Amino acid sequence: MTEGESPLTPLVETSGLGKRYGSITAVRDLNISVRRGEVYGFLGPNGAGKTTTLRMLLGLIEPSSGAAEVLGQEPGSPQGLQGVGALVESPAFYPYLSGRDNLRVMARYCGVPDERVAEVLGQVELAGRATDKFKKYSLGMKQRLGVAAALLKDPELLILDEPTNGLDPRGMADMRAIIRRVGHGERTVLLSSHLLGEVEQVCDRVGVIHRGELVIEGTVDELRGGGGILVKAEPLEEAQRVAAGLAGVEGAEIEDGMLVLDTDPERAAEINASLVSAGVRVSELRPLARSLEDAFLELTRGETV
Amino acid sequence: MLASLGAELLKLRKRPSTWVLACIWLTVTILLSYALAYALLANAPPPTVPQGTPKAQREQLREQQEAFREEQLEALYPENLVSNLTPGFSNLGPPLALILGALAMGSEYGWATFKTVLTQKPGRYAVFSGKLLALGIVLALLVVLTFAAGAVAGYVITALEGAPVGWPAAGELVRALGAGTLILATWAALGVLLATILRSTALSIGLGLVYSLVLETIILNLPIQNKVFQNVREFFPGQNSNFLANSFSGQSQGGFATPQQPVEASQAALVLLAYTAVCVLLAAFVFHRRDVT
Repeated sequence: MTEGESPLTPLVETSGLGKRYGSITAVRDLNISVRRGEVYGFLGPNGAGKTTTLRMLLGLIEPSSGAAEVLGQEPGSPQGLQGVGALVESPAFYPYLSGRDNLRVMARYCGVPDERVAEVLGQVELAGRATDKFKKYSLGMKQRLGVAAALLKDPELLILDEPTNGLDPRGMADMRAIIRRVGHGERTVLLSSHLLGEVEQVCDRVGVIHRGELVIEGTVDELRGGGGILVKAEPLEEAQRVAAGLAGVEGAEIEDGMLVLDTDPERAAEINASLVSAGVRVSELRPLARSLEDAFLELTRGETV
Repeated sequence: MLASLGAELLKLRKRPSTWVLACIWLTVTILLSYALAYALLANAPPPTVPQGTPKAQREQLREQQEAFREEQLEALYPENLVSNLTPGFSNLGPPLALILGALAMGSEYGWATFKTVLTQKPGRYAVFSGKLLALGIVLALLVVLTFAAGAVAGYVITALEGAPVGWPAAGELVRALGAGTLILATWAALGVLLATILRSTALSIGLGLVYSLVLETIILNLPIQNKVFQNVREFFPGQNSNFLANSFSGQSQGGFATPQQPVEASQAALVLLAYTAVCVLLAAFVFHRRDVT
């Protein structure tokens, strides 16, 4: 971080970014900002425009409209890429080279000494298989090599596009651990993922993209919404009537045999007392924890990821 | 660009197909230009003379055949290295160089490795120029190796024949090295251009080979006496590769002297240079402008 730079200074900022392929709009008027030091989750269903956006940020494809800045530079400029490590979609390397030689090739491209290769191989726990040919690697090992290549420059911004895609549960767990390890400290991570649980655990802020447009951007809590209270009571209709009349309760709906109250969860004790005094038998009362998945499905109108 | 050059050289050096192509080229060149030619000359049968031919005439025929054999053998000696080897660069050279150029560029599209390379640090022009420079170095090394192998083969034949060893003039050798490299570079650049436009290795190699081996031959052998058409033919890369390569043949002490070339070697070299420049610039333009998807 340079002197006078705020931690909230965006490392990645887009303004009206768009990409069209003929009559198809892949990304439309996208405005996102990734702040220094945060882990930013980029969520969206398949074909939402996540990879297209990341490719534009890396200078691999030219935007049709709008602009973007990565580390204060034009996307794809050597100055900007100096501080960026990226893994875009499936890892792509030379099949006839070993993992180590593939990294040596990449190290030469970015002007990093060969000694760094051994370090990053260790970071992704691939040192033991470094001399094997890339074509003999399992998918999990290929993904780890991709992360190793992204780490070569010890970048301040790491862009990972669905790094756990196609991995088995063990591979996913390993990759998640690696991401947590490499994403700590001052390093900023822009992570595109299908795994909502993973994003929920790892990311500080999330941007949801749907049909090429940013639907929402905020912290995970903000995305989940204010929450509410879930009540199990007898008789349920009476409980609904009483609760709906209470001050601060903005909604009372019966869903799956439970009463869902749209209110501040802090008011749980007060609501319980009111229901009991009205002769309602309350057997369960707890804050409604809306998962990121619920929020995501609501935002993307039920489309699966 | 130097960083890219280092990376490209490492890739080419470690790539099996580079070595396979180089081995095929060297083996076929030495086999056809030296081993086979020497085996035929060494085992040439005596001349068949009709029964009743006078002894003096039979002796004359035998001397003529011996002189011819000597002349052919001299063409294989190291002093005739340039005239014996350079014509081969316009025969097997074009398809080989085209394959090498198409492989170097097309494989990056096939393996989708450009996205990994271009997100490292170098700009697109640096990656592209590093690739071309590395390809040029490999081709130049191949040309040097070819002449070195030819020199060894010629030396062995000289030793077997007990003839004195002579070497070509240094200037002539340098000119031949340059001509060989230029011919190969032109065709490699065509391979790079095709692979860049088609974003494919197989298709670019296929189309390139059809052009270099079939179309060029058909066009050049069309029995059209029209002067304009004949002049236009002189601007084809295959034809100019032949002109440049064969420009060294007439200087042979032995062997067959080729007929007068319709185009000077310098003009042929300029045409090939122009083709190389156009291919490289077009490929660079397309590579720079196109999205990497």
